[in-house]
Order: sequence, then C-alpha cells, then structure tokens
Amino acid sequence: MNTPTSGKWAASLFLLLLFFSCKQEQDVYGINDLTILPVNSEKDKPKTSSQYISILHTNLFQRAISPNRMLEALRAIESIGDKQIAYDILVSKYMNDGDVVLPSEEEMREDVEEFIRETYKRFLVRSPTEAELTWMRNFINSRPNVTPELVYFAFATSNEHFHY
Amino acid sequence: MDRRKFIKNSILTATGAVAAPYILPSGRLFAQTGYQMAEHVVFVLFAGGVRQQEAVLRRYLADSQNEDIEGNIMYNMLEGAPPPDKIAYGRDDVQNNIIGAHPIDRLLEVPLENQGVLFPEVRFAKGGAGHFNGLSTGVSGNYYITQGLRNRPVSPTIFEYLRRFAGFDASDCWFVGHGIGGSRPLLNHSDHPSFGRRYGGNFIAPLTTFGAPGQAHFMDFKNYHPETEWGVIREMRNFLNNNFTQEGLEIPHLYNTPDEENNIKEFVRLMFEKVKSGQVTLPPVNDNNDLKTIGYAVEVMQYFKPKLTVVDLSDIDVCHSNYTAYLKNLHRADHGVGFLWREIQRIPGMQNNTIMIVMPEHGRDEAPNPIQDENDWFAYDHSAGNINTRRIFTLMVGPGIDANLKIGSEENPIGDASDITPTIANIFGIKERVEAEGLLDGNAMSLFDRI
Repeated sequence: MNTPTSGKWAASLFLLLLFFSCKQEQDVYGINDLTILPVNSEKDKPKTSSQYISILHTNLFQRAISPNRMLEALRAIESIGDKQIAYDILVSKYMNDGDVVLPSEEEMREDVEEFIRETYKRFLVRSPTEAELTWMRNFINSRPNVTPELVYFAFATSNEHFHY
Repeated sequence: MDRRKFIKNSILTATGAVAAPYILPSGRLFAQTGYQMAEHVVFVLFAGGVRQQEAVLRRYLADSQNEDIEGNIMYNMLEGAPPPDKIAYGRDDVQNNIIGAHPIDRLLEVPLENQGVLFPEVRFAKGGAGHFNGLSTGVSGNYYITQGLRNRPVSPTIFEYLRRFAGFDASDCWFVGHGIGGSRPLLNHSDHPSFGRRYGGNFIAPLTTFGAPGQAHFMDFKNYHPETEWGVIREMRNFLNNNFTQEGLEIPHLYNTPDEENNIKEFVRLMFEKVKSGQVTLPPVNDNNDLKTIGYAVEVMQYFKPKLTVVDLSDIDVCHSNYTAYLKNLHRADHGVGFLWREIQRIPGMQNNTIMIVMPEHGRDEAPNPIQDENDWFAYDHSAGNINTRRIFTLMVGPGIDANLKIGSEENPIGDASDITPTIANIFGIKERVEAEGLLDGNAMSLFDRI
C-alpha cells in the first residue's frame, strides 16, 4: 500500500507550494520630512548702502542714480547711525521730488490686486502669497487715506527690501 | 503632591525668585547698584593727536621749533599766561597779512583746570597711536592692538554698557562725530555678541548730515502726518517685516522707539531750518570744522539733553603737514571746549548736573618730520613706537569733582587712556556691573579710584 506515502508526499508538496506561493504585495506608505520655508527665505544677505540706494532710486525714479549723487547719498546715509531713520529720511526726501514716478490713487483703487502684485514685484522681486495679497487688499480697501506713495514708502523701507 | 515634593518645589521656586534677575520696565535685567554722581556726562575726545609739549606743558615753540618762547594757548582749559611773542595761533590779521595774529578771547573766567581735576600725565599704553585705536579705546575702555579700520570695536562701548545696565534709551546716548572718515560711524557700538547694535548709541556727523551731502539727500524731506500717514506706513511696514522674520536680518537700526525716531527726524528737520536761516548755535569763533562740530553738539544737547554725549574733534591732526595750523587748531579746540562748558551751564537740566571729561585720543611724536610750513616750522606725525605719542592728559570737571586738584606728574604718571569707560560707568552707578563683564583693559580704572 502506498497510499499513506502518497498522502505524505502530497501534504509535503502542498506545504511547499503554500510556503512559496504568491503573496499579495503590501504597499507601505511613509512621509518624508520636508522643510517648508517662507517665500522670502532665500533673501539672507543685506544689501550694501550703495546697492540699496541704487535700487531704491531706480524703483522710485525709473532711472539710475548718477555716480556723483550716489556718492553724496552714501555720505549722507553714513552720517546717521540709525539706518532706519536715515533711509526713512532719504525716502521722504525722494517722495518730495517732482520726478518720482508713482501710480495714481485712481489706478491703485481701480485694480487693487494688480497694484499689490506689481508693488511686490517692483520692490521685493516676487509675487505675494495669497495671505499677503488678502491682507494688503483688505488694508487698502478699508482705509481711504492709503495712497500709492505710502504703500511704496512702506515697501521701500521694509526689512525684506534691504535684503537679497 | 506629597509633603516632601511640595517642600522641594517651594524651595526651588523661592530660590528662583531670589536668584532670577528682575526685568525692569526699561527692559534691562539689572537695576543700577551704585550712586549716580550726575545725570549727564559729556566726553570730549580732544582734537586728533596732541603733543603734551604744546598742551599741559605750555611750551608753545620751545620744545618744537628751537625758539625759546613758552606759553599757554589753551587758556580756557589750563592756567597760565599766553606766549609773549611770535603769536601765530589766533585769527589772521587779514589787513596786514599776518597769520594767526589775534588770539581768541577767553570764554571762561576760571580755567577748567582750576574748576576740576587735571591728570597731567596719562598714558596711552598699548597699540599704535592711530586715531581709530585712540577713539575706540576712549569709548570702550579697551585697546585694539591688531584691529584695523572698517571694523567695529570688539569690546562693548560705554553706550552699550549704559543702555544694557543703566537702562538708558538710544536717544540718551550720542556720539557727535567730526566726520565720517576714519571709521568714526562704527564707534557707536561694538560687535560683541552680548551687546552690539541692540544697545548702540545714536551717531551723527553733523557736518555731513547738514552739509552738502545731507542738503542734497535729506533737506526738505517730506513731513508726513504722524497719525494719518506715518501710522499707515508703520502698519504696512510692520506687516511686511513680520513676514520677513529671519533672525537679525533687518535694516541696521539702533532700537530707537517710534517716538525717538520721530524726535530725531524732527531734530534733523529743525537743524536744516537753522542752517537755512543761519541760526545754528556756534562758538564765537567758528572757522574750522571742530568748532562747527561743537556747535552742533550743543544743538544735540539742547534738543535731546542726552545722558551721555561724546564729541570728537580732529582738526589738530593737520600737524602732519602744518605746524602753524596745528597751533591754531589747538587754540580753537580749547575755545570750543570752553564754549561747550559755558553752553552746558545754560541748558536747563544739564546746568550744574553735568560732568565733562576731556582727553586727547593719543599724543604726537617728539621729533618732527621734514615738512615745513609758511613760518618754517616743522610738522609732527604720530608714529608707532614713539614714546611721546603715549603721553596724554585727562581733565574732569563738574558737580562732585574736586576743584583745583592735580593728580600725577611727569615723574609719576597716573591714569590710562582706557580709564574713561569705567569712569563714566562710575558716574552713572554701574561700575561694578561693567567691571564684572571682564571686558575692560587690565589697566582700566575709574579716575575716581585713582584719585
């Protein structure tokens, strides 16, 4: 009688097949760490005074500052220790100049969103985030005394504008 | 919580409450611990390299030009008769074409030497006799043997000590610079990591701010309404700055409060008005930059009543190439200091409540260089290693200062160029805190302790 032997073989074969049989692949999902930085995080170098003045002048007058005027401006800035005060006065002086190029208030209020995008691009060389856009739009729309000049002033003397 | 744990926690809490420094309303961690001798200090960094021979030794031409003429050309500061002959330090006699023929009238009836304490032989002990080393030693109480220009002092300045330990505001502390050369704009604070810009003093170089550069780029700056316009600007700027919060990345400001910022801007506006109308306060004779700088320093004091004002003078340095001009400027520096002291006594609040300290930043050589001027007098440099460059003096006057006292002599020098920082700290009652930082030169000592 070979039935029991065949049975053992069959059982062994079954176990062997079971062991090597196809297994359903299981996908394992993970999360990689990703540092999310602010949009302006790459600006970590301060501009020199000459870089700042040069860019400021071009932004406000749409033309480059002459070397002689640059030298004078540098001296004036260096003569005041608190640079925020020095730049505030410099920008205030430039805003009093008839040649400064500013959008009109009508243009700003006609399309506030476009004005904000253009201002970010002009001074901070980037687009605003949705949060920034919303805040700025609400700020301008809710305050009738906001003018393009005041907006430009705030951007021109902000910390981000001083870095690249 | 069991009893043992409760007791342990109570002890820890009590210990912490006792040991933790108090954060005062001013933001400082520690209260002043000492007695405050005066509410204001004015420190004059005198003139740009002065030879002892023409200053406290009153030797005029005797030790410099082989002419046997002695005399005192600093008679607002020092006692003694002026030179009897070869007068070349005053105002020019234009009609007769005689240079420096008319000495400037004295402003003070009693010379400062007789009103206060004179340390006639003080030592500039270390490093080269360079202007930046001298000036930075004066304001920081430490020498900079290897440090070059274009760097801020490594050790904290007196401004930083005062703002951090005495709770002074930024606009309580002013450095009024003769100009923007020689890294002067870097002397209002150090790069020390525990101090630095956060505690810096305000700096202004008035001849630049209100001279041609400032007139081209600052004068007639727009006057925004403080609430309806400045308020809008600040609100937007705060929003932008809050979205750019990288640590330390900001326009290098000095932590003036918004009110202080407005005040400084109004001062600048006022000064331009005075410049236009010719009403800037100036000494009776004001024909050099030192005297104009002193005039503006008086304006700063009248407007802000700073607790500490540092004024730096520099015109004497013309001695590198013109000895006659050196004498004229030394005479004028004395005129300026006399004027400064007189004006301080006219400022409400500072009157009888200000201690003034005068010290040259270093001396000059004993032997001349080959350059001769129109009087055939030889010029003098300030060379490294020349022992005469290490000889300076210090004069101190004001409430609580002994009158008519002389400390030290040529044979027994007393005092060091690094003494001024601990002396000012002493006056404001924070000497122990400053000394405890361990950042002063080993020689530095309050002049009051030397007395």
